[in-house]
Order: sequence, then structure tokens, then C-alpha cells
Amino acid sequence: MIDTIEKEENIISEEEAAQYDRQIRLWGLDAQKRLRGSRVLLVGLRGLGAEVAKNLILAGVKGLTLLDHEQVTEESRRAQFLIPVDADGQNQAQASLERAQLLNPMVEVKADTDAVGSKPDDFFFQFDAVCLTRCSKDLMVRVDQLCASRNIKVFCGDVFGYHGYMFSDLGQEHHYVEEKPKVVKGSNEANDGPEAKKPKVDPNETTMVKKTVSFCSFKAALEVDWTNEKAKNNLKRIPVDYFLLQVLLKFRTDKGRDPQPDSFAEDSQLLLQIRDDVLETMGLSSELLPNTFVRFTRPRLGVSQVDRVEQNGTECRLF
Amino acid sequence: MKVMELAESLSSCRVLVVGAGGIGCELLKNLVLTGFKKIEVIDLDTIDVSNLNRQFLFQKKHVGKSKAQVAKESVLRFCPSANITAYHDSIMNPDYNVEFFRNFQLVMNALDNRAARNHVNRMCLAADIPLIESGTAGYLGQVTVIKKGQTECYECQPKPTQKTFPGCTIRNTPSEPIHCIVWAKYLYNQLFGEEDADQEVSPDTADPEAAWNPADAAARATASNKDGDIKRVSTKEWARSTGYDPVKLFNKLFKDDIMYLLTMDKLWKKRKAPLPLDWTEIHHLEFSQEEACGTGLKDQQVLGVQGYAQLFHRSVETLRSQLIEKGEGAELVWDKDDPPAMDFVTAAANLRMNVFSMNMKSRFDVKSMAGNIIPAIATTNAVIAGLIVLEALKTLNSEFDQCRTIFLNKQPNPRKKLLVPCALDPPNPSCYVCASKPEVTVKLNVHKTIVQALQDKILKEKFGMVAPDVQIEDGKGTILISSEEGETEANNNKFLSDFGIRNGSRLQVDDFLQDYTLLVNLIHSEELEKDVEFEVVGDAPDKAPTPSVPEEGKNIANGNKDSAQPSTSSKAAAEDDDVLIVDSDEEPSSSTMEASPESSNRKRKHHGTDTDDAASKRKRLDQQPADDDEDIIALD
Repeated sequence: MIDTIEKEENIISEEEAAQYDRQIRLWGLDAQKRLRGSRVLLVGLRGLGAEVAKNLILAGVKGLTLLDHEQVTEESRRAQFLIPVDADGQNQAQASLERAQLLNPMVEVKADTDAVGSKPDDFFFQFDAVCLTRCSKDLMVRVDQLCASRNIKVFCGDVFGYHGYMFSDLGQEHHYVEEKPKVVKGSNEANDGPEAKKPKVDPNETTMVKKTVSFCSFKAALEVDWTNEKAKNNLKRIPVDYFLLQVLLKFRTDKGRDPQPDSFAEDSQLLLQIRDDVLETMGLSSELLPNTFVRFTRPRLGVSQVDRVEQNGTECRLF
Repeated sequence: MKVMELAESLSSCRVLVVGAGGIGCELLKNLVLTGFKKIEVIDLDTIDVSNLNRQFLFQKKHVGKSKAQVAKESVLRFCPSANITAYHDSIMNPDYNVEFFRNFQLVMNALDNRAARNHVNRMCLAADIPLIESGTAGYLGQVTVIKKGQTECYECQPKPTQKTFPGCTIRNTPSEPIHCIVWAKYLYNQLFGEEDADQEVSPDTADPEAAWNPADAAARATASNKDGDIKRVSTKEWARSTGYDPVKLFNKLFKDDIMYLLTMDKLWKKRKAPLPLDWTEIHHLEFSQEEACGTGLKDQQVLGVQGYAQLFHRSVETLRSQLIEKGEGAELVWDKDDPPAMDFVTAAANLRMNVFSMNMKSRFDVKSMAGNIIPAIATTNAVIAGLIVLEALKTLNSEFDQCRTIFLNKQPNPRKKLLVPCALDPPNPSCYVCASKPEVTVKLNVHKTIVQALQDKILKEKFGMVAPDVQIEDGKGTILISSEEGETEANNNKFLSDFGIRNGSRLQVDDFLQDYTLLVNLIHSEELEKDVEFEVVGDAPDKAPTPSVPEEGKNIANGNKDSAQPSTSSKAAAEDDDVLIVDSDEEPSSSTMEASPESSNRKRKHHGTDTDDAASKRKRLDQQPADDDEDIIALD
């Protein structure tokens, strides 16, 4: 059964109609109403988080909670555009709040300064969708699992220099509709006789087709068994970023932070080690992720330029 | 380039961003966060409430203000050390000459119309500055790099021009809502705006289809005064004579003129005949009360005939008042955001649809079509702006071999990619813009084409010039058109043949601003199709649209100004078109590209979008917006 439009007020105001006009013309009024009734949690307000916040707020969700326990640093301030220049030392979510709210006063934007790991299960149940950035693997697995039971959509993502990933779990049975153009069949019956044609059917008429799709859990996505034949055959088509992600998540778990340019020497050693361990556990060769990967994660611009040249022009793997 | 060099070069590099709208806002943010310090941004527009869903540097309180100016202020808030110069101006202003462009290491377009894109393309060629071109429409987007001598320029591949409809379809035999909407916009201009001989609304007696005897049509055409219109009084004059009486107007347009059409019986042999409406009769009929709004947008309601008749009545009265207020000789300019203007077109178009037995359309849908509205969201622009910066970095590093054209699709391709890069093509040696001595051949009737038409429709509109100077290669160097105002005004209404121009004549056309010289060869022809004033030899012929194919993919428009010939943008995505494109992660070098059959499909829709911005907000460029912007080589 398709989720019906829930609880909230169904009338779109004149103000909303005017502001959301261009997107209503793209995804329809129905979709806009659903957005309007959605409450979303966003964890992590660095560069990626700020972009996600902007996009969700502009889209016109009902409410967005910005959750981040970390403090503003020079680095974090340079990474995003919501934090004012004089906010060093403040909580990141708090510091982002004002500018985020100004993006669209019709959205309820809140800041929460707690660490996401300290939140009880029912904290997540108040949301329709949860977006996790800069979270540990264990946390993402946990949140994904508990949200599944309540049909709460989960999105995870991170950025590592020029690389990154995004994961979505919309549940085992996600129902949606797809708009397809109506097939125009010529009709030759008209009052004026057999030769007369009706005016052409409006080519813009479309029809809605119901569909269902199934998503796997974050845990399952990370725990693919690469030792069986089928997986091995698919290996060539798997972007190397998948393995990079595994390594970086392990680093994050072990070190409690992401690799930093300032500790490049020490970090790269650990990264190489983790790479060996992780790939070995998966029954795969270390060659899958060549040594040069340690440079991918350095966020400083100039260094990544050097990386690209070294990698013989491999394109940035955008997700 | 070494590490430190790049970091330093970013902060010392001067870049120009053309446009501060959807892409522009995201791009400015990205540039500044990446470390660019010297940024100039230009946009002629002001902020509208419909921009606020994506142009995030603007808030409601900024509506009406200059986009470039407010964008600059907003960016400075989070990066006070950035050095930003904002210009509230058109990039086509001659102040921004080649010298101006030479100040920059890189130019990035964030535009929404073809005319400006053509112009910036030429300026960057003239200044030899790399240009990053981009566009979005709905979920789709595209980025590419243009570097003189190394890559194709923006005009190397001919882009299909705006789809136009034949006059007799608009005036006599509309079969789709869009025809009625175009008619309604013409009507607006005829009644309230600038009258245009190409925008006739009355029945066309010279319609070749209407004549039982081909000789008749020709006879009628020469017998009548204007273009097949037997009435010797213009629509505006007639309306004035009745005091713009809405009921009289209604009956003339939807009853009398329709009854006249019915006398042209050959037209209705194979078509359903139109059904005239009568004002009094409509209001006597029992129609059910129109339903209350419900949970939809008011604008998305479709009214009944009575409703649109009332709307017609009201809007005519309002527009009449507007005219009176403006005074003697006043003219109104159609603007989709002007409610009475939009009401008028909605009403008139729907009444005509009803007459011709078509399902009527809501104001919402009419506005889309009449205003050439391209749906837009923040995220597409965000992705494209990100890609622009990545290409910019490669460009600044002179890594042109690394640069790509990148397409953002709505659905993943067979390899599960949404973002698909393609190798850049080398310049087209026959390009009429970037070739070393560009030349083009135009077919027209030298006895029927006036100098003004050559200037406006051919040189400016078709060939994208802004201020052309034209010399005839007749051994005397006769000056036909001078870009200096007033100098050759006397020539405007003369025919080309009056200057001795005939079959085989050549014109040297210069646009000094664009540093562009084009040699135009003329072929005289008396056999051009009706309504076709000229043909560029070598252009792919314009295709008529096939109604069963959703138009949206083809309408990723690049020409959206409020002209009377709008697009038929719809919400339905042309997913089938996307699937046709064969993509691979990394395109092989262009030499191998030529060999593979896939390569002809490789180029695809150009996602340039055109805004729906009102004519009042910008200079009214007298050109028709280009609509289909396909790079696909026509396959049929």
C-alpha cells in the first residue's frame, strides 16, 4: 500500500505556492505536500552537512533538526557557509542555526548539541528520515536497524577529500509511483465521418505507475561476502571507493577521527595497515586498493591535484 | 603544477561568473570555499520570489533587488576576505569588451539563454580565455569546457532553433493547446501591446489548405491588405473602435471569426470543425457550480467555459484600464508574472481550446507553456556547480586533456552512473564562429527581404550578433548596415535587391564587440516555404514535434524569454531519450570516438535552461527564444 499523505494540513498557502512554484512544476504538488509534512534529522554539520541542510530546507520540509556535538574550529568554519566568522568555540549546530533558518522561514529548524551516540532509540522515532554524516560504522548500523522497524528512511554519507559515498535505506518494501507518458492511440471515430480525426490527444498527459523496490541494510551492504563466485565476478565493476570506505570507517572507529593532513605520516601508515587487514578479512588482495589511496583523503586542495596527476588522470569518483 | 603554486594561483586568479541565479549562487559559494579570492559576477536580473526555492543567497526581503549585488553581499558574510565585484548589467553591454574579458584567467557561465551564451562564447574566443559552460533543467544538467583552438566552441555544433508554428496553424487550424496559447499571446500584443505583422490572430484566408483551387489562394493573398487578412482594419483599431468592449471582443474572436473559419470548408473535411461560442448563450446555460478549491493549488483548477468567459471579461477590463492609465499611444508588454496579462492569456487560450474541442488547461499549466517555465530545484544546480569547480581547477592547471563534458542524468545508465563524462571534441573546422575565416550560406528572396529583417532576424537572432556592420562585397564596399545608431536607418525598409544584391552576392559582416567577422553568401530563392523568411544552407532541418513523444527532454530549453512562441515543457521526463545515450565511464579519445557507432549518440541534450524572467526585468531582446537545444545529430 502506498503511504498516504499523513496527518498535516493539506492546503498549500499562497506564499508556499509562489515560493515552491518551480519545484512543484518538477515533482508535483503531491510530493511537495509530503515534503511539507516531513521531519528530518541531520547529524553532522561540516561541509557535507551544511549542503544537506541547505537542500532540505530549501525543499520545504516541515522540520529539520541539526545535531552536532562538536565545536566550531577554523577548519570547520572554512568548510561550510552557514557558520559566521566569529563563531569559533561555539557548538557547530548552534552556530549554523541562524543562517540555516534564514534559508527558509517556513521550515522549523532546530539545533541539538548532543552526541548522536548518546541518543536513545526513541529519539530517532520522531523523524521521517534520518541523515547521518561523520558517524561511526557502529552507529550507522545501529540507527539503520532501529529505523527499519519504524519505516524511517535512513541516509548515510561522508566526504573524504575528492572522494565520498552516499548510502540510502528506504526499507525492504519501498512503494513509489513513477510518472509515465500516456500512450497515444489514434482514434478514428468522430461525428464527422470516418475520415475525420479528433484533435490530437494532449501529448503532456501522463499516467502514474505504482512500483515497489527493496533496499538492503547498511550492515548488509558492508558485509558482502566476496569469497563466493558471483561476488568475485562482479568485483571488476565495484568502484574502488567501496573498499576505501571500509578502510576509512575502520580508521574512524579505531582513532575516533578521520585522517588529517597534519598527521599524514602517522595516519598513512595506519591506513595502509588497515587496508591490508580489511581486505584480507574479506579474502581479497591488497592490490585492490593501491597505496596511493592514502592521499585521497587529504582535504587540502593542492595535494589532491598532485594525487590526480599521479593516478594518471583517474577521474574523481563522484558518487 | 606543484602544490603551493596551485594554492597560490587560486587566490591570485581572477574569475568571471556570468549569472547569479540558480547555478550562479551555488557556484559563488563553491568558488569562495575553494579558495578563489578575486571574483566578478554579473547579472542583469532582479530577485523574484520564485527564485527562493534554490537561489539560496537570496531571502524574501531581497525580492526586487539586484541578484549580483545581493549575491555578493551574502557571500561576503561567510567569507569577508573575498574580493567580489558585482555588476547589475547585461554581459552584452559593449562596456564588457574583449579587453574586459582579457582581465580574467577563467570565465564561467551560469546563464539561462542562448543569446548570452553565444555572445560570451565569442568574447572568450576573441580574448582567448577558457570558458566553462553549463546548464540545468529539472533533474538534468551538463558542464563542458571551451578552449579556443583545443575544443569545440559553443557554436561549433548547430543547435536547433526554437520551434515555431506556421501562421495558419495558429490562425486557422490549431490542434494542440500550445497553438491556442501562442494565439492568445499574439492576441494580447495585437490588442494591448506592440503590434507585430508576424503575430496575426484573425483567420488567414491565404491558407493554402483552404483553397479548393490553388490559384484562389494566391489571388486572395494578393487581393487582401495584410497577409491574407481581408479586414483592412487592424485588430487594435477595431478594438479601440468598440472601446475594448469585452463582450464585443468575445463575440468577434470566439463566434464571428470562428464562423468565418467554418466557411473555409475544405479545412474541416478531415478535421473536427470548430464550435463557435456566443456570450449570451454561455451565460444562459446551466453549468454546475465550479467546485471549491479543495486541497490543490487554486491555479491548478480547470474552470468551465463560463469561468473562462468571466476571466476574459475581467482581464480585458483590467488591461483596458492599464492602457488608459499609461496614456496616449501606450503599449503593454506581456509578462507571465503580471496577473491580468496571465489571466487574459489563460482565458483566451482556453476559450479557443474549447472552440476547437480540446481539453482546457489550468492557469498553472498555461503559465508553464506561455511563460516557458523550466522547473528547477536546488540540488541539480548544486551538483553542476560542484562539477564546474572541478573542471575549473583542471583548466587553471592547463590540464585540458583531463577536462570533460559531464552529463547529470535522472536515471543511472546501464553502468549505474548518474554522472557521465565524455571526452571533449576538437573544434569544428567549418564552424561559422571559431573557424579561421568563418563563412555561411543563406537562402532568401532578395526582392522580399528588407535590410531590417537581415539585421534582426538573420544576423542578430540567428547568428547571435549584437551590433553587426555589413558591407556588400560589390567592389565598392557599399555599407548596408552600420552598427552606429542612425547611420543606415534609411536602408532599413529597403529590399536587398535595391542595393544590387542578387543570387551569389556576398556580405562581409563584422561584429566589432565580439571581434567576429562572418562572410555571408546569399542564394536567391523564390521557393521558400510559407512563413519561412530564410534558410541557412547546411542546417539540420527543424523537425515537427511528434506528439506522442514527451517533449520535456527536448525542451531543456535555452531560450525562454517571453516570446509568443513558447515551449511545451511538461513534467514528464523523457527517460527514453536518456537510455538511448550510450555512455561509458571514461570515453576513449576522440579519434576512436568517430569510429564507433555509439559516438553519434554521445552528444546529447544540451541542458541550457532559459529563465522565465519577465520581459520587463531585462532588455527586451527582439528574438525568439531557442527551445530545443539538442546536441544529438538528428537521427531521422
